[in-house]
Amino acid sequence: MKETRLKILQYITGIGLFFFAGTHLIVSHLSSGEPASWESVSDRAASAGWLTLYLLLLTFGLYHGLHGLRTIILEFSFPNYAVRVLDWALVVIGIAIFGYAAYIPISAF
Amino acid sequence: METEVASSEKPHLPNRLGVKGWVWAGRYTLERYLYTLHRLTGLGLLLYVALHLGANGFRLGGEESWTSAIDFLTNPFGRVVEYLVMAAFAFHALNGGRLILQHLGYTLGKPKPPIYPYVDSMRRRRPLTWVMLAVIVALAIYILVEFVT
Repeated sequence: MKETRLKILQYITGIGLFFFAGTHLIVSHLSSGEPASWESVSDRAASAGWLTLYLLLLTFGLYHGLHGLRTIILEFSFPNYAVRVLDWALVVIGIAIFGYAAYIPISAF
Repeated sequence: METEVASSEKPHLPNRLGVKGWVWAGRYTLERYLYTLHRLTGLGLLLYVALHLGANGFRLGGEESWTSAIDFLTNPFGRVVEYLVMAAFAFHALNGGRLILQHLGYTLGKPKPPIYPYVDSMRRRRPLTWVMLAVIVALAIYILVEFVT
C-alpha cells in the first residue's frame, strides 16, 4: 500500500480512537462507582454494544499504534529489505495481538 | 557511493542525528517540541496498551483471578500511572487533531502577498496551537481534580 494511503488510514484511525478510546477512558477511569469490579466488567461483557466498541477500539488502536511505531523506526533510514521485514513483522505482531486481545471479550460475551 | 535507504517510494538522506534530533538540532520552534512530545506520549500509550491487554488476560481466569489482579493494580502508583495515561491521551488526541488540520491545509488561512514584516505559516498557525495547549492544560487539571476527589 502506498505511504499516502497508510497515512490517511492513520488519520482516520486517530479520529476514531478519539471517540472510542475517549469513551472507554471516561467509563473505565473517570466514572463513579467501581467500573473495574467483576460485576461491572461482566455487565459490559454481556453487551453487544460494548463488544463492538472494544473490537473497534482494538482494531483502530493496533493500526494507529503500530503504524506510528513504524513511522518512528523508519526515520532512522534502513535498507529496503529491512523495511519489508519490519512491515511484515508489524503485520504479524498486529494480527497476533488482535487474536489474543479479541478472544477475551468475545469469549466473555 | 549511493546507498539503499528506507522508503518504499523514494530514497532520502540518512537520519544522522537520530533520537538526538528529537530534542535539539538548532533553534526549534514550539511546534517542534510538541512533535517530540507527541511521539513520547504515543510510545507511552502504546506501552500502556500492551500492559493493559496483558492484564486483561486475567479475566480468562475467572472472578478470583480478575479481582486479585485489580487489587494488585489498585495502589497510589497505579493511580499516578492512570492519571498520566489520561493526560497523555488528552495531549496526543488534541495535538493529533491539530496535526491533521495542518497537514490537510485547513489552518493555513487565505494567501497573503509577501509584504514586510513577513509572517511564516508556522506563526500564522500559532494561535491554534496556544488554544490547543490551553484546552490540554484545562483537561489535565480537570482530570486531576476528578482523580483526587
